Amino acid sequence: MHDHTAKPQTKAEPSTRVFAVLAEFPSGDEMLEAARKVRDAGYTKWDTHSPYPVHGIDEAMGIRRTILPTIVFVCGLTGALTGLALQWWTSSVYYPVIVSGKPMFSLPANIPIIFELTVLFSAFGAVFGMFALNGLPSLYHGIFNSGRFNSRMSTDRFYISIEAADPKFNRDSARKLLESIGGQSVEVVEERAAVEFPPMLRKWGITALLVLGAFALLPPLYTLRARTRTSEVTRMQLIWDMDQQPRFRAQMKNPLFADGRAMRPQVPGTVARGEAFADDHLHRGLVDGRFAATNALPVTESLLQRGRKKFDIYCAQCHGLDGLGQGMISVRAERLQEGTWVPPLSLHDEVVRTREDGHIFNTITNGIRTMPPYGDQIRVEDRWAIVAYVRALQRSQNATLEDVPSDRRGELP
Amino acid sequence: MRHPADISGESRRLDALAPKLMGMAGGVGLLGLIISVALAFMTEDGVRRAYHAYMVNFCYFLSISLGGLFFTLIQHLSRAGWSVVVRRLSEAVGANTLVMLVLFIPILLGMHHLFPWTSAELLQNDPVLQWKQPYLNAPFFLIRCAVYFGVWCGLSYFLLKRSLDQDASRDPKITLSMERMSAPGLIAFAITLTFASFDFLMSRDYHWFSTIFGVYFFAGSFLSFMAILPVILLFLKSNGRLRHAVSAEHYHDIGKLLFAMNVFWAYIAFSQFMLIWYANLPEETGWYHRRITGDWLNLSYALLFGHFIIPFLGLIGRVSKRRLRLLTPWAVWVLAMHWLDLYWLAMPEYWLRVEGAPVGTIPFSLLDLSTFLGIGGIWVAVLALWLRDHSLIPEGDPRLAESLAFENA
Repeated sequence: MHDHTAKPQTKAEPSTRVFAVLAEFPSGDEMLEAARKVRDAGYTKWDTHSPYPVHGIDEAMGIRRTILPTIVFVCGLTGALTGLALQWWTSSVYYPVIVSGKPMFSLPANIPIIFELTVLFSAFGAVFGMFALNGLPSLYHGIFNSGRFNSRMSTDRFYISIEAADPKFNRDSARKLLESIGGQSVEVVEERAAVEFPPMLRKWGITALLVLGAFALLPPLYTLRARTRTSEVTRMQLIWDMDQQPRFRAQMKNPLFADGRAMRPQVPGTVARGEAFADDHLHRGLVDGRFAATNALPVTESLLQRGRKKFDIYCAQCHGLDGLGQGMISVRAERLQEGTWVPPLSLHDEVVRTREDGHIFNTITNGIRTMPPYGDQIRVEDRWAIVAYVRALQRSQNATLEDVPSDRRGELP
Repeated sequence: MRHPADISGESRRLDALAPKLMGMAGGVGLLGLIISVALAFMTEDGVRRAYHAYMVNFCYFLSISLGGLFFTLIQHLSRAGWSVVVRRLSEAVGANTLVMLVLFIPILLGMHHLFPWTSAELLQNDPVLQWKQPYLNAPFFLIRCAVYFGVWCGLSYFLLKRSLDQDASRDPKITLSMERMSAPGLIAFAITLTFASFDFLMSRDYHWFSTIFGVYFFAGSFLSFMAILPVILLFLKSNGRLRHAVSAEHYHDIGKLLFAMNVFWAYIAFSQFMLIWYANLPEETGWYHRRITGDWLNLSYALLFGHFIIPFLGLIGRVSKRRLRLLTPWAVWVLAMHWLDLYWLAMPEYWLRVEGAPVGTIPFSLLDLSTFLGIGGIWVAVLALWLRDHSLIPEGDPRLAESLAFENA
């Protein structure tokens, strides 16, 4: 609208309302005295203003003790528990990695993080809790509509303001009270009825935001450009040392060592974790240098089930599911008339039946004739499980009446 | 602002209390020492055991005295106003380093019982000891001890004497001179306390080393002074002294420092433990291994819970700091834990390098109690002696009015 008559209307005095009654005091002590009287008069929405913190103002204003310490304590406790849970879950549940040979979950190693998170959460609780309790951030406060307040509050004067929002508020009685308790230059502070954005801020603020926003877009745009193009220029290396680390790669020479090898051979006698093979019975099937007569593990139903599973995976291809030597590979090799093929021995053969458990274990581990070794493929416990299952298979083919439980012998045909 | 507390009508001197206290505490002290000597010669390996008990309790009361000296120094350095009403007490506690100097003589006589590095036989067979010999030898040890006690006694006597002078002259320049002394004084204090803790406690297992050990001893030292202060105040108050001068506002700050130092102790103790635990180097872990073997593990857990977690929860609230009758039980608890801490620091080495020693057992003995009473009694009697003819607060301090009106914002 370009109507000239509209202009005076926008310039017209906006309607105002009372924000507070304000009184000035020359010293902190006088303000403190007066504050006690305002408190005793029963006002609830009122405030004191001072250039510096005044001791005893909490008591004089009747302010209750803040709940901030409780907030901080709860935040700190949350931080401690978060730190504990975070480390427990990441390091021992989700991605368990052994570090320095310590247990997956070890409290001493976790304490520093727990401590840091306790401090961090407490600090957040203290800062943001203080903001929230004080109603911050606040971009507008009605008291700044007083010119006198603006010019002297932060230098050498003390003020008490009783706000219109107080349920007891009455312009005249508030004024009378403040004057009676020694308040000087008592004034009624008025504010605009509708809070407006200052035109200056609106004009320049929006421009500044747009310019800043445009600048903020530059880095992602630059990244986008780099990602969609190819270039012959070497990529920018901001931290050169990190991109070009001096190090020896596999098969390189290293003059530091007498043999010139960068890849270092193992120190003689090195044993990898869990590969000490200290137990002769368990790892070699030997007892006193002879094949062990018994299984190295206690034979249980679950061990037999495990053995059956592994047997069906690794052994049945040649030996057959029943152990008679009619596995798919053997059958096919015979059909193709392979000259080198030696058919596997039936596991029910007297030779195998009389062999010790340790001997069978040794055969699985190291192989025999054309049978390859399985020591690298099947875990040691599983090899013993297979031995136990082979024993069960043999028994199934050579069972006597005594093997059937006496109460179920009647079911036999 | 609170108006300064009116102290015109209250009793600020020990008066009749002083001779009574000196007589009783001194009597208990002498009796304790006599019983200790008797026990030492009557029991098997008693002399060596007695020296160990004496060492624990010597370090205990030395740490409290040094805490008092540190408190006085830091108040002067920061030009603190709040603490003026309790500063005379810290000056007197600090001046007790003088009696600790006298009580140090038995330790010099029993060096070969307490410090295995004095043994010529060990020196010949132990390359580690040969390496450390330029530091760990008796003449240099004596020189160092002379420096330590020179610094402590000199500083604390200066601070007490000047403060007493000010009672009469009311000269504010004296405050300035004490403030000027406090900065170099604190540096000298830090260095001497660190090396003293190395010499008195750490060198008992001379293979072991921990650079944080001095800070650990300092944490316990300042903590124990902050804990003995409420005890002294409650004693004075219940005898009608300093009724108005020291208020809940002062207890509150004392309680805050007590709480803070307790957390600081835990922080330092854990810092020392974690680095050694994580690196897992044999030359460092041996010291801790002794303390987690057998019954010592229980004592270690007792420290973790009793010295940190329980008082942490007890002292975190506002009420327990502002009421002297609530604060003092916690202070006594912390004092007991500090004793246990020093026992834990000094005593496991009792079995070190002993043939057929029952490793893992705690050698509790009646001597621990008798030497405690012996040194403690004399310590209290001398404390009363410093305060006998003087006011319990620094009457002439220019910040006295500020302290009397002190208020936590």
